[in-house]
Amino acid sequence: MRVKAIWQYGKVYIILLIGLIILSVIGWRAMGQQSFVRTALSGLTLGALYFMVAAGLTIIFGLMDVLNFAHGAMFMIGAYAGWQFYTNPTFLFGLAPLVLALVAGIVVTPLIQPLAMRWAVPARWQRTLRAVVIVVAVILIIVALLGLDVRGLAKTAMVATMVDPLAEATPQEPLAVFWKRPLLFFLAGLLIALAQARPGDRTQVIRSGAAPRAIVALVGFVLLTVAATLTRESGAISVLKMNADARFFLSLAAGALIGAGIGAAIEISLVRPLYVRPTFLILATMGLSFVLRELTQLLWDPLPYAMSRPPLFSQPGKAASILEWFSKHTLTVEIMGVTFPSYRLFIIALGLAMFILLMLVMNYSRLGMTIRAGVQDRDMVEALGINVRRVFTLVFALGAGLAALGGIGAAPFAPVEPVMGDRFQMQGFITVVIGGMGSYSGAAIGALLLGLARAFGDFLALKFSLTPAVSEASTVIIMALVLLLRPAGLFGKKE
Amino acid sequence: MAPEAEEREIILEARNLRKEFGGLVAVDDVSIQIRARTLHSIIGPNGAGKTTLFNLLSGTMPPTRGSVFFKGRDITHLPPHRIAHLGLGRTFQITNIFPNLTVLENVRLGAQAMGRHNLRLLTHSDKYTQYLDQAEQVIAQVGLRGREHMLAANLPHGDKRKLELGIMLAGNFEVLLLDEPTAGMSSEQVPALLEIIHNILTSGNRTIVLVEHRMDMVMSISDFITVMHQGRVLAEGTPREIASNELVQSAYLGALYGDLTAQAEK
Repeated sequence: MRVKAIWQYGKVYIILLIGLIILSVIGWRAMGQQSFVRTALSGLTLGALYFMVAAGLTIIFGLMDVLNFAHGAMFMIGAYAGWQFYTNPTFLFGLAPLVLALVAGIVVTPLIQPLAMRWAVPARWQRTLRAVVIVVAVILIIVALLGLDVRGLAKTAMVATMVDPLAEATPQEPLAVFWKRPLLFFLAGLLIALAQARPGDRTQVIRSGAAPRAIVALVGFVLLTVAATLTRESGAISVLKMNADARFFLSLAAGALIGAGIGAAIEISLVRPLYVRPTFLILATMGLSFVLRELTQLLWDPLPYAMSRPPLFSQPGKAASILEWFSKHTLTVEIMGVTFPSYRLFIIALGLAMFILLMLVMNYSRLGMTIRAGVQDRDMVEALGINVRRVFTLVFALGAGLAALGGIGAAPFAPVEPVMGDRFQMQGFITVVIGGMGSYSGAAIGALLLGLARAFGDFLALKFSLTPAVSEASTVIIMALVLLLRPAGLFGKKE
Repeated sequence: MAPEAEEREIILEARNLRKEFGGLVAVDDVSIQIRARTLHSIIGPNGAGKTTLFNLLSGTMPPTRGSVFFKGRDITHLPPHRIAHLGLGRTFQITNIFPNLTVLENVRLGAQAMGRHNLRLLTHSDKYTQYLDQAEQVIAQVGLRGREHMLAANLPHGDKRKLELGIMLAGNFEVLLLDEPTAGMSSEQVPALLEIIHNILTSGNRTIVLVEHRMDMVMSISDFITVMHQGRVLAEGTPREIASNELVQSAYLGALYGDLTAQAEK
């Protein structure tokens, strides 16, 4: 009885485990220890990255039924943001005041809502009014950007070298010229807030307690904007003066945060109005991914960039074991007779850490419980009194942040280029289909399988001089097999 | 049935509700008053608009016209989660439990959804012991003790329905809208569930609104019955009044629908 229950619960795991062990023994024998271990480790590296892309995709799909085609773009943006922050943060520091000013304007919505809704606007003009207000806001933003050398700011990191980073610290626009820009962005934010308050729409509900929170948010963001405006140059320089390892870990955090912020903004502005039209959502997110890719191309040219590894992973020499690496910080580490780059081991560890973190959040936190329940029955969760919309925004931000973290993690060994997101997105979707929509542990297993398949496929292609397409095809073949045997994916919810 | 039920205050009221889907009128000018601490059943044949009426009452859908009042407050345009926080809970016809959560997690979700700790989402869920205690209590009340750590998916069907009531009870709602709570149950299982429903009504300060399409089932436990037919209210009253109502009898005896609506409009 017990055994039967365990078998029922874990048969997918057991079969996979047995399959992997058999394949490993065959591989070990046929390939020899060295190439087997090396290939397996490369596979794990890829798998860790696939997991970070797929985890967000699968939870977003499971909870909101949204196929987020802009998820790869989040990966790419994470890579660019992290690379910029690490190499030369002039661009990020130059734009930060503008973004903060815009947000400061938008957060006043709950403050003006009680006034705006009492405004006598006839029903048929309300839509037009909102549209006009938004257009004016966009015009203000364009005017605010006039004359600002955004491309110049973007180019700073392209020429930066690690010899003397400070030599590349580029001067920002003087404050006397710059001050108008955040102000205009703030005004644009206020207009967006006005449109959000839906003037004349009396059916809205005013939430008690929203106004004091809005005041705190407004004051907070205005102060942040002022601080960011004043530290545009000094902030960038102090980041560059920092210990390079610390800067690297900060850039991981910055990349993930920027990704999460952009994710939240996308959910609120673009995805939320379209929940009722799921097919439009596919087109909208796909269109967005094109826009983001082209925008990146415009700013940084379609060239691939290489981000240098932090000193922690780039001291010359080879550590005899992982333990020795902790004191020597060498470029490579010897594992089971194989010399392997230490940075790639870091990626494996990062992926594993993110999986454990996600598992803890999903299984033991209230947010996780809400997400697991919401994946199964959204309406019911809402009927119980949970604000599902807010959970949606959080989950979207979380997924985008995780993908962005994957992007910046990949930046030191994969080329940073506008199309990098698309490749990982495709693999991310395949991972999600294999693992089952809505299951993060499925995403982890799927990512592991795909990563290994790619690595061993590459090895075989090289060995038998086949075309490298073999390894790309292998992932799709796995997906087809899984779909034939289990149409809902390995751990998917059954419809 | 409670003897003084007719004098109790009105807790939930719909005024002239209308819902159109394209050209189809699902709910047509329905007004209904639910009195506090009573069991009010809404019955009618399939397609009578019962579930749509529930969706309008609970905010799941906005009405085309008309308004809903809960405890004297206009809730017509409130989102469902805010209506729930005011004390109006509902179940859905098909699935109401979360199959991949354990029994305890299911009930706890109901308890903590209504709590005031909404912003600290990342705290360990067991930290909130008051929810845990509340959940354990409810599990005992609906007779699921000993199965707390089973996945809800593995419960037998009758127990799933009990769990569903448990989730609602944990939410501490004043008014419960139950959409066909006996659907899919065999006729032997029905009396046990009805008894639990009856206990909920008498033990707490609760009001229950039931949707059913089987009339015999609700006669014995309801204080009031509203009969719906083709989106309209056909008859309203105590079970005795309904049982003796000719219109209702003909509706359930399969009179021609066209005749029936003609009569109802008179």
